[in-house]
Amino acid sequence: MSPKSSVRLFAGVACLALAGPTFAQQVILPTPRLLTTMPMGAQVGTTVEVAITGENLEDVTELQFSTPKLTAKSKLAADGQPEANKFLVTVAADAPVGVHDARFVSRLGVSSARAFTVSKLAEVTRTKPNATLEIALELKGNSVCNATMTARAVDFYAFTGTKGKRVVIECATAGIDSKLTPVLIVADGEGRDLVVNRTSGLLDFTPAANGKYFVKVHSLTFKGGPEHFYRLALQEVAASVPAPRQSATRTVSAFSWNPAADFGVAKTVEVEPNNDRAKAQKITLPCDIAGAFYPAADVDTFEFNAKKGEVWWVEVASERLGLLTDPFVLVQRVTQDGDKEKLTDVAELNDIPPPMKPSSNGYSYDGPPYDGGSPDVLGKLEIKEDGLYRLQLRDLFGGTRSEAANIYRLVIRKATPDFALAAWALHMNLRNGDRNAVSKPIALRAGGTMALEVVVIRRDGFDGEIELAMENLPSGVTAAGLKIPAGKSQGMLLVTAGEKALRSVGFAKIVGRAQINGSTVARPCHLASMAWPVRDASGEIPKPRLMADVPVSITDAEGTPITIAAREDKVWEVKAGEKLTIPLKLTWRSEISGQLQLRAYGTAASGLKPLEVAAKAETADLVLDLAALKPAPGEHTFALASGYVVKYRHNPAAILLAEAAQKKAEAEAAAVAVEAKKLAAEVTAAPAEKRAAVETVAKAASEKLKSAEAAKADAAKRMKAATDAAAPKDIADIVVSEPIRIRVLPADKK
Amino acid sequence: MGRWVGSLAAWLLAMGAVSAAESVRAVSFINDVVPVLTKASCNSGACHAKAGMGQNGFQLSLLGFEPQEDYEHLVKEARGRRLSATAPEQSLLLLKAASAVPHGGGRRLDPESEAYRLVKTWIAQGMKYDQSTDPKLVSISVQPARGTLKRKGEQQLKVMARFSDGRVKDITKLALYEANDRSMAETEENGRVRILDIPGNVAVMVRFQDKTAVFNASVPLGAPVKHLPPSKNFIDQFVFTNLKQISVPPSPVCDDATFIRRVSLDIAGRLPTVAEAEVFLSSTEPSKRDKLVDTLLTSPDYADFFANKWTALLKNKRDAASDISANFAFHSWVRDSLLANKPYDQLVRQLLAATGTIEGNPPVAWYKRVKQPTEQLEDVAQLFLGVRMQCAQCHHHPFERWSQHDYYSMSAFFSQIGRKPTATAGEDVIFHKRGMAQAENKKTKLPVKPAGLGDPTLDIPPDEDPRLRLADWMGNKANPFFAKSLVNRYWKHFFKRGLIEPEDDIRDTNPPSNPELLDALAKHFVESGFDLKAVVRVITQSSTYQLSATPNQHNGVDRQNFSHFYPRRMQAEVLLDSIDQFTGAKTDFADLPPGTRAIALPDNSYNRGSAFLKVFGRPEGASVCECERASSASLAQSLHLMNASDVKGKLAASGGRAERLAKDDKPAAQKIRELYLAAFAREPQSHEQAVAEEYLAKPREDAQGKPLPPDQSRRIAYEDLLWALINTKEFLYNH
Repeated sequence: MSPKSSVRLFAGVACLALAGPTFAQQVILPTPRLLTTMPMGAQVGTTVEVAITGENLEDVTELQFSTPKLTAKSKLAADGQPEANKFLVTVAADAPVGVHDARFVSRLGVSSARAFTVSKLAEVTRTKPNATLEIALELKGNSVCNATMTARAVDFYAFTGTKGKRVVIECATAGIDSKLTPVLIVADGEGRDLVVNRTSGLLDFTPAANGKYFVKVHSLTFKGGPEHFYRLALQEVAASVPAPRQSATRTVSAFSWNPAADFGVAKTVEVEPNNDRAKAQKITLPCDIAGAFYPAADVDTFEFNAKKGEVWWVEVASERLGLLTDPFVLVQRVTQDGDKEKLTDVAELNDIPPPMKPSSNGYSYDGPPYDGGSPDVLGKLEIKEDGLYRLQLRDLFGGTRSEAANIYRLVIRKATPDFALAAWALHMNLRNGDRNAVSKPIALRAGGTMALEVVVIRRDGFDGEIELAMENLPSGVTAAGLKIPAGKSQGMLLVTAGEKALRSVGFAKIVGRAQINGSTVARPCHLASMAWPVRDASGEIPKPRLMADVPVSITDAEGTPITIAAREDKVWEVKAGEKLTIPLKLTWRSEISGQLQLRAYGTAASGLKPLEVAAKAETADLVLDLAALKPAPGEHTFALASGYVVKYRHNPAAILLAEAAQKKAEAEAAAVAVEAKKLAAEVTAAPAEKRAAVETVAKAASEKLKSAEAAKADAAKRMKAATDAAAPKDIADIVVSEPIRIRVLPADKK
Repeated sequence: MGRWVGSLAAWLLAMGAVSAAESVRAVSFINDVVPVLTKASCNSGACHAKAGMGQNGFQLSLLGFEPQEDYEHLVKEARGRRLSATAPEQSLLLLKAASAVPHGGGRRLDPESEAYRLVKTWIAQGMKYDQSTDPKLVSISVQPARGTLKRKGEQQLKVMARFSDGRVKDITKLALYEANDRSMAETEENGRVRILDIPGNVAVMVRFQDKTAVFNASVPLGAPVKHLPPSKNFIDQFVFTNLKQISVPPSPVCDDATFIRRVSLDIAGRLPTVAEAEVFLSSTEPSKRDKLVDTLLTSPDYADFFANKWTALLKNKRDAASDISANFAFHSWVRDSLLANKPYDQLVRQLLAATGTIEGNPPVAWYKRVKQPTEQLEDVAQLFLGVRMQCAQCHHHPFERWSQHDYYSMSAFFSQIGRKPTATAGEDVIFHKRGMAQAENKKTKLPVKPAGLGDPTLDIPPDEDPRLRLADWMGNKANPFFAKSLVNRYWKHFFKRGLIEPEDDIRDTNPPSNPELLDALAKHFVESGFDLKAVVRVITQSSTYQLSATPNQHNGVDRQNFSHFYPRRMQAEVLLDSIDQFTGAKTDFADLPPGTRAIALPDNSYNRGSAFLKVFGRPEGASVCECERASSASLAQSLHLMNASDVKGKLAASGGRAERLAKDDKPAAQKIRELYLAAFAREPQSHEQAVAEEYLAKPREDAQGKPLPPDQSRRIAYEDLLWALINTKEFLYNH
């Protein structure tokens, strides 16, 4: 059974295990998540105050970025204490302009990421509502405004336009993780719409007259809320320059472009007109050409000579550059049939297929919602005859779209075998429609193991096996790679936190190694995740992207509910055809409903029947019948996994703290009350000439009492919140065993 | 159809025109027998040509368009029992047709008729099918082809068929007749046309086999045409020339108040504001009407209003909550295109050749709604060419030259559409799938290559998206349908009636009421570079559009010559917006910012939450036909306006006009003037002023008969006055 099919089976079992009255429970254990920052970016060489929101923001100690050129420290209040969820972020003068990932570190570890932009433009943050023309916010040239969209509203900005002077207005949203689908409108001085853009968040506008203009921003469907943030940039741009765009995160498909090195500037530029065969652009192979699918229905035709037996690899990047394009390459051999030209199809090169089948758009989870493939082109061209060849390159989405920004890069090269890797957290169908687990960070609980699915795009015929490894792990974390077998496109990585590991955070690297042409080649693996926890996929499509790096953390604040491992940490040896019994050790730290149904991951144990383990069972025997499983001789790693439902208590330790704080507040209030009462009595008793002075003191005491009572009420509220949070709650999650290693020895010769 | 079928028996009894000489020549199955069956309605859709199995197991092709199949069914099916060469009278066909044995269709042929004898002779001659060398029908002609007929007048038509051997035959009694406007003319089975009471132009379609001919009748009113309004552009020249020809005197040009209200409603879908009306009425600038048209055309209201029209026709329909993004994107794309005045050929091109995702290229959303190539071609043909192709999917179009071959040639343009699923359920990525564009003719099972209607087949290389070639063909200046269809549709928008009616049924047999005008409008549109605003401009700046709605003593009967403006009820969205604007209330629509107007609603989903929109007939976007929008008046509409809680709520809206006027210290006369300007864009007349003032001054009592406090009484009085004005025809109609 392939790993893919084992995932499918696994998902099925999980559903079964969770069917019944506990079906509507929360999915996955509490996970730290950074949801918003305000502002969402800063100018180089400045320090700005950044407020964050998120999930499980307890005991936030740090705000981290994927570049060391961005640093943050807590903002201190007047009393010298850190203000909750507020930071002062300093952007070094040499910080790289672009989008970086921001994360916080909290009691439960490192959070999910949120894009944070470093720009060269002056930054402002909207502080007052601007939802009508009358209260439009003045926007200066070459500045960017950070703001959040309100539901069912339109935000208004005003700027002064000069006749003939071009301005580019751009709204960054999806590229910085926002849920906003922006509509940009430039209106005249009376607010009447002049030009509109609803597809790309960019308006290129040259005023026909001097005067006041308005920019209206709203959501395509008038949705809003804190998650619908945006950065609106207004830039004055020379007429001849391409419209500048703010930086954006990379799509998942982009991981397969430029795996080895930056291609740099293309050697050749496509020259129009080259639509017709008569005007085909002559090229020689190999080649590296920069071009554009422009204007609408553009066909770029190239001609080259090639010799029998040559093998070329053709790669086109366009969608992977972040564009809505679908390149298509047709290569035909050109011969003469009398006076007529005869064309024979040689190759049709289309999409790069996904290395792992992405989920359908159904409600239940049937695969990872990541398409590791791309509409771009990567394919082989075999020359069977000497002669003239014609290559046509077109955008299958370009028939009527006339956008100069739709560029491409065409590379035709001799085979350069290589590979590119991407990974994402394993998920399964715990509850129909729930996709929030696919955006979880690698924030491990002590004793826990997390599984990552790793996929590979193989280039130019590379077919060998790839060893997966994780490096630079924080102390207490280990990782085991389940290698990607030769010819296959997916593998798995297990990241395990030791049972006694202490809290730690670090930036790891995932690496794949393979033998190519006799040398070991190492390639980094990009981590992909979803921008938002989506809890109902029918109402919201999860938005995947590549992460800037691979942060890993362990929390010792709570242990993982179940740990499963082989009783001994060793390589279990067995002869082919024989049976191997591996005793398992199970550690239960919470109350679990029902039983586990453990399925095996990894080629060696695929096909293993699910192993049922009752709750609280401390041991179980895993029996591998090698006669049935038939793994190849050699060393194999696999893991067991199951869905489960835990009675989870969130941070019970907080109750003790809250209780102590409450008692303290109560005591303080009581003391202040006594003092206030005493002073009130003194006022009555005080002689007339001293009464005013006593009254002042008594009044101050009364005020103090008021604030002490407020503090008491607040402490009671916190106590209640801590108690409520710690009340047992059913949560469905998955448990993955620690890696289990076996060595299959050849059978005895009879 | 039923009426002429009913009179058929009498006609057949009288039929005796077939000469003795003809009875001895070889009777042709195709040219003689099938026409008899057609005339006798045997092969009508309701009888033996009913889809499926015909009638009682006996199937004929619709109107005899497939004689080979009919022959098979008649001669060979049912073990040959339908015909008997040895005893022709005993043939089941004749026994049934003559009702000698029980026949569900009754008596269709009189045994004494020539038609009966013709069929009998054919049977007796051995029931032969025509040889390939036998003469074929080449054309038919009607005499006279056109004529001027008096009201209540009559005309006998003569129809001649020409065959490939040069023979010409009188087929008057075998041909079928139908008037394109039955309120103007009736036809009889023998080719007699009877004109009714309405003046204008009417056409009678004549059909025989798969050929058609048309008789055009001009019916003058006979009234003196002494004064014509000034001719402002070519529209006036053609309209007034026609009016002179049919001697219908036009009404004079309307006053300024009527014009600003009419043109604001028609271009911007809203009433003029009080301020706009005051400025316009007081202006003495000679070109103020032309300028007003330009101002309205540059306003976003124009784009909102026409997007509302187009998106319903383009089926922007919300079936699931997740459709919202696609529908908003699509609606906005149409609206923004109109705002930018994108040339119509480009707009259509971007729609029908759309590729990519809805998010990146919103017209792709059309392919989410319209999925099958057959539906795609039918919608494109009806909406953008004004041609109804639906019939030709299964058989030759009965009123048209379009065959199944034409149908599948059009559908072949849509044969290379590739789809890939997206993360959104129900939404596909659309792309061009490389390959030879072709469709299978459902009848012949043979592949058919793409061809524009009436054009030769195209050889489109497999790399080219055939839809782009379709767009090329449509946008070609010489295309006989594309421009004509649009100008006719827009003409109807402004005049209530198309030059061709229905507006999406352009065919040779349904000629325009003013062909020269339609041609000139189409030419103007093409020459403007398919400029939609130019069409609106030339129409609304014409004197014809600006004629008064009040008929003169002669032209009240005119229904199609535009001698006066034909008033029409405001459509649902415009009426709701007008009431909101007049009362100062706002209708709240789900998901949209407060203050969004009904004409700017992106899809049909808002009909569910608005009884008002439903009652007044806002379409659901289910059809490409404008007829889906109910434009008629109904009792439910009257009751809604008088009593419905939403309308009452608007009258009493907090911060609304009634409340404001009640609190205002201005003299009542000024406030009444404001109401009339707001509702009708005109000043009140003295008697209206007097009635209103008297009503406002009247003290009011509560249910117990106690006098109400003056402020409350005043407010109720203003609410009543608003209610009364809304419920006038002058408010409800664009006139």
